[in-house]
Amino acid sequence: MLIERLVIGDPAARELLYDRYAGALYSMVIQLVPMKNKANDIIVSVFTWAFHHIETFSTSGYCTLFAWLMRKTREFAIKEALPETALTGTELMEREEGILQQFCLELTADELQVFRLSYFKGLSITTIARLLAVPEGQINETLGAAMKAFRKFLKDTWN
Amino acid sequence: MELKFYIESGIIESFVLGLATEDEVEELQQMRRLYPDLDTEVELVERRLERAAFDEPAMPPMEVRDRVLQKIRWEQGSGQSELNSNYTFINIQPKDGDHITVHRWWRVFFIIFFIMSKIFLFLAIFYYLKYRQSQEQHGLNMPAANVPFNQEQQQNIFFL
Repeated sequence: MLIERLVIGDPAARELLYDRYAGALYSMVIQLVPMKNKANDIIVSVFTWAFHHIETFSTSGYCTLFAWLMRKTREFAIKEALPETALTGTELMEREEGILQQFCLELTADELQVFRLSYFKGLSITTIARLLAVPEGQINETLGAAMKAFRKFLKDTWN
Repeated sequence: MELKFYIESGIIESFVLGLATEDEVEELQQMRRLYPDLDTEVELVERRLERAAFDEPAMPPMEVRDRVLQKIRWEQGSGQSELNSNYTFINIQPKDGDHITVHRWWRVFFIIFFIMSKIFLFLAIFYYLKYRQSQEQHGLNMPAANVPFNQEQQQNIFFL
């Protein structure tokens, strides 16, 4: 089992982890940080972190290594992302075609705006509510609707 | 029915994407303990997302792989050398003309030297001030003793 081998620090398992997931994670990183050098650094950081913290996977609540790595990749990418003032949200859509970009096409304008701010910029519900001058409850509802749409999108496309 | 509604709310997708709040994550974990079937649903969502991501992978440049693997090898090498003292660490980095390598005892020597210099500096200032003080006191005492002598001398000079 790959996880057990990673826990004991098997170098071959580490190479296998990289070869298996680097491509999928990189495609997600360049959607969040569309700068080659930064995206490369993020991938190095993610895998280095993963090799050192592999024992935390079992308590993370995730069932697959991919989801666990994807979560961390987004965290690293958001830290490295451009400042809020430099992004309007629209340019992210034009950079790379990916699953989240395809999904965004299915959202309403409100849902799209909230989802972008939440996923791509990593803003909290409170911050988004303040930014858009809308009650937090409304943002929660909009994001909830976006997540329902995402569930449907995943089920319909990759079931 | 309630569980189905909970699943359909998109909470699992929100958790997997990392958008769920701490309270929502806590609630989901509690629900997973109550309803173990939820684990299957979480795995299903993760697998769907994995398949979606694998559909359009974008491989990073080879230099990224080299950097990641080089880190592993480096850590492994240093870990082994720590475990087995028979290994000798050899620094293969090119030596530049701006840096020198010295024995670690020099560090101790420099720390002692630094502390001693501070002590000597303190003592020098202290004794200088003491000296100044004694000179001033000496200066204050001297005129009282010298005045009659000077006056006498002046009178002698005057008479001469």
